[in-house]
Amino acid sequence: MQVFSSIGSQLIDLCSALLLLTCFAIVAQRRLSACVDLFALQSAFLVLTATLVAYLTGNQHIYIAAALTGVIKVIIIPRVLRKVIDRLNVKRELVMYVNVPTGLLISGGLVMLAFFIAQPIIPLGSILTRDSLAIALAIVLIGLFTMIARQKAVTQLVGFLVLENGLFLGATAATHGMPLIVELGVFFDVLIATLIAGIYTNRLQDAFDSVNTDRLTILKE
Amino acid sequence: MLNLLWILLAGYGAGILLPLCLPRRPEAQSLTAGVPAIVATSAGVVLGLLGLTSSEPVTGSLASTIPLLTLAIRLDSVAAFFLFTISVVGLAASIYAIGYLRHLAGRASIATLGALFNAYLLAMTFVVLADNGVFFLLAWELMSLLSYFLVVTEHEKMEVRYAGLFYLIMTHIGTAFIVMAFLIFFQSTGSFSFETFRQPGQPLTEGMRNLVFLLVLIGFGTKAGIVPLHVWLPYAHPVAPSHVSAVMSGVMIKTAIYGLIRVYFDFFDGQFPWWWGFTVLFLGTISALLGVMYALMEHDLKRLLAFHSVENIGIILLGIGAGMIFQSYGLKELAALGLLAGIYHTINHALFKALLFLGAGSLLYATHTRNMEEYGGLLRRMPWTGFFFLIGAVSISALPPTNGFVSEWLVFQSLFLSFQIPTVFLKLMLPIAAAILALTGVLALACFAKAFGIAFLAQPRSAHARHAQEVPVPMRIAMGFLAAFCVALGIAPMVVVPLVDRVVAPLAGLSIERKVLALDGWALAPVNVEFSSLSTPMLALLLAALAMLGLGLAVALGGRLKARHYKTWGCGINLTPQMEYTATGFVQPIKRVFSTIYQPTVKLETEFLDESRYFAKRRRFEFHIEPIFEKYLYDPLVAFFATLAGRLKVIQAGSLHLYLTYIFITLIALLLLAV
Repeated sequence: MQVFSSIGSQLIDLCSALLLLTCFAIVAQRRLSACVDLFALQSAFLVLTATLVAYLTGNQHIYIAAALTGVIKVIIIPRVLRKVIDRLNVKRELVMYVNVPTGLLISGGLVMLAFFIAQPIIPLGSILTRDSLAIALAIVLIGLFTMIARQKAVTQLVGFLVLENGLFLGATAATHGMPLIVELGVFFDVLIATLIAGIYTNRLQDAFDSVNTDRLTILKE
Repeated sequence: MLNLLWILLAGYGAGILLPLCLPRRPEAQSLTAGVPAIVATSAGVVLGLLGLTSSEPVTGSLASTIPLLTLAIRLDSVAAFFLFTISVVGLAASIYAIGYLRHLAGRASIATLGALFNAYLLAMTFVVLADNGVFFLLAWELMSLLSYFLVVTEHEKMEVRYAGLFYLIMTHIGTAFIVMAFLIFFQSTGSFSFETFRQPGQPLTEGMRNLVFLLVLIGFGTKAGIVPLHVWLPYAHPVAPSHVSAVMSGVMIKTAIYGLIRVYFDFFDGQFPWWWGFTVLFLGTISALLGVMYALMEHDLKRLLAFHSVENIGIILLGIGAGMIFQSYGLKELAALGLLAGIYHTINHALFKALLFLGAGSLLYATHTRNMEEYGGLLRRMPWTGFFFLIGAVSISALPPTNGFVSEWLVFQSLFLSFQIPTVFLKLMLPIAAAILALTGVLALACFAKAFGIAFLAQPRSAHARHAQEVPVPMRIAMGFLAAFCVALGIAPMVVVPLVDRVVAPLAGLSIERKVLALDGWALAPVNVEFSSLSTPMLALLLAALAMLGLGLAVALGGRLKARHYKTWGCGINLTPQMEYTATGFVQPIKRVFSTIYQPTVKLETEFLDESRYFAKRRRFEFHIEPIFEKYLYDPLVAFFATLAGRLKVIQAGSLHLYLTYIFITLIALLLLAV
C-alpha cells in the first residue's frame, strides 16, 4: 500500500508539474488562439490529476467533478473563447505591460514565493499531496499575474480561468475535494463568468474597436 | 393532509412550468398559469382549514446537501391560519389574473408574469410553513426577489424602475436585520431549527433578548410597512400589476406579522418586559394615524390603498401590542383578546385590501389611469365593480355589517380594558391609543367617501371615464368572491372567532372562545358581558330593517320614486364635468386642520385677460404635501452614503489592471503575513 501511494503521489506531482508548465507556456505565448489551446491542455491535465486523486482516495464524487471539468473546461469554454476570437480583429498581443522574458522571470519568482509560503503547510498535508498545494498556489498567482500583464480581454479571461484551475487543483489535492455542492456551484460560476466575459469582449470590440481593457479608463467620469 | 400538500406543490410547479413551455398565445398562457394556481390555492385553503382544526401540528422534513439547511415544514395553527389567508387571496388574485392579464398583453410577457406569480405564491407559502431558520430566510428572500420582479413588470417606465430599486433596497435592509436576529439564536443554540429556537439549551441573556426584539421589529417592520419604514410601500405597491398589488398589500406584508408573532409569542413564549408591547403599540398607533392621513391626500387610487395598508398594519399592531402588554402583566385573558383582535384584523385586512386593489385594477383596466381626478360616473358604467368596491370601502372604513367593523371593535375593546393594568402610565396610554384609533377610523371613512364618491358618482371627468366598460367575467368573479368573504366574516364572527382562537390559544396559553362568544355564539362579549357586547347578525338585521323602513316611509309619505332629468342651474355659465367636486377639493378642510403634519405648499397662478383684470383667462393650482420621512430621515442618510462613496473615488482610477494589481498585492501581502 505504501509503495502504491508513493507512486501515486509522484504521479500526482508529475501531473501538477505539467499544469504549472502549461502556465509558463501561456505566459510566453502571444497568439490568442494558442493561449486558449494551452488552457484546454492545462484543463486536460487537471482532469487527469483529479481522476488520479479520485482513484487513489476512493472518493466517488471527485470523478463527477473531473468529468465536469472535462466537459466544461476542456470542451465548452475553449469553444466559446475561439468563437469570440474569430470575431476579433486582433490575433496577436503585440503590446504588453510586462514583456515576455520579464514575465517568465516574475512567474519563476512567484513559484518560489508559493513554495516558500506553502512550506509550513506541506508537512500537515497527507502523503498524496506533497507539493501539489504549493504548485496550486503558484498557478493561482501566475493566473492573476497574467491578468495584470496582458491588455486583451481574451487573455485576461484565460488568466482568470488558469487561476480557477489552480484553485481547483488546490482543493482536490489538498483536501481531497470540496463538498460536491460547492464544486457544482463553482463550475456554474466559471461557466457564467466566461459567457459574460465573452459577451463583454464583443461589446468592447463594438464600442472601442479594440479589446484592450485599458480603454475602459475613459468611461470614468 | 400530506396529499394536499403535494397537490399544492404540484399545482404551483405546473403553474411555473406550463406557461413557459406551452404555446405562445397570450390567452392560453394566462390560462395555463391561472388554472394550476387556482388548483394550488384551493388546496392551500383546505390545507389551512384542516391545519386550523387539527389538534397536532403536522411536520415533515427533507435533508439537503447544503450545510445547516433542512427543508423542514411545520403546519401548526399559526402557520395554517396564514396559509389559509395567503391561499384565499391568492385564489382570488389567480382568477382575477386570467381576465386582467389581457390588459398587459404587448407590454409584458404574460408567460413570465404568470410563472413568476405562481413562484411568488409558492415562496410565500413556504415562508409560513418553514420550520428551519435557513429555509425560512431562503423562502423569505425568494418571496422578496420574486415580488421585485413582479413590481418591475413595466420596466420601460422610469417611475417603475425607481420604485423597484427602492423596494429592493428597503427589503434587503429588512432581511439583514432578520438574519442578524436568527444568527443570535443560532449562536446560543447551535442550530437553525425552530424547535431549538423555542427551547434553547442555554437561554439568551436579557440584553440579547432585547436586541433580538429590536432586530426582529425593524426587520419584519420594513416588510410590514411600519412608520417610518413604510416609505417603499406607496412606490412599489401601485406600480405592480393590480393582482400582484393585491397579493403584496393583502398578504405579503402579513408574512411580517406572522414573523413577529412567531418570534415574540412562539420563540420567546410570551415572556417579555412591558416596554416591548408598548413599543409595538406605539409604532402601531403612529402607523395607523400617519398611514390614513397620507392616504387622504393621495389622488392616485393605488397609492391611496398602499397608504391604507400602512394604516391597517398599524391597527393590527395595536391589537398585538395591547396583547403583548397584557401578557407581560400576566393578564392572560386580555392578552388572548388583544391577539385575537390583531389576528382577526389580519385576515380581514387581507380580504378587503385585496378586494380594493382588485377593484382599483378594474378601474385601471377600464380607464387606463390611476388618477382619481379623471374618474367619475363609473357606477353607471361598471355597476359590478362599483358594488364590490363599495363593499370593500365599507369594510375598510370599519362599518357594519362587514368584517372590518368586527375586528376594529375587538381592538377597541382590548384597548378599553386597559384599566386592569396596574401601571398608571399604561392606563393612560392605552385609552389614548384607542382615541387615536377612533380618529383613524373617521379619517378612513372620509378617505373612502372621497375615493368612492369621486370615482363612481357624478359625471365622467375625462374621456377615459366616459368610455369605460365593465370588466371581464373572471375579474368580477374574483371581486365577488372576496366581497362575499368580507360580508360573511362580518356577519358570522361566531364561526371565525373559534378558528382564530385556535391560533391564539397556544400562543397566549389559554382559550377564550367560550368567554368571547356569548348567547350561544350569537353575540360577541369580550371577556365580560356586562362591559360590552355586540351581536353582528342582529346588527345586520337592524340595518336592513332600517333601510327598509326608510324606503317604506319614503313611499308611504308620498315621495316620488321616479327620476327627474333636469339641467343644473349654473348662473348662466355652461357647466362642465371639470367643475364637479374634485378629490383635492374634498380633502381641503382636513388638509387645513392638519397642516402642521402635512406642511403643504400651495401655488396658485392666475393669468388675466389683457382687457380686464377682473376676468381670468387661466388658473393653475398646484399643491404638494411634504414627504417628511423621506426629506428628514432618508434623504440625509442617502446623502451621507453618497458623500462617503465620493471620498472613495480617489482610489478608483477606472483601470482594470490597476484593480487587479490591488488584488494581487493584497493577496501576496496577506500570504506573506500568514507565513
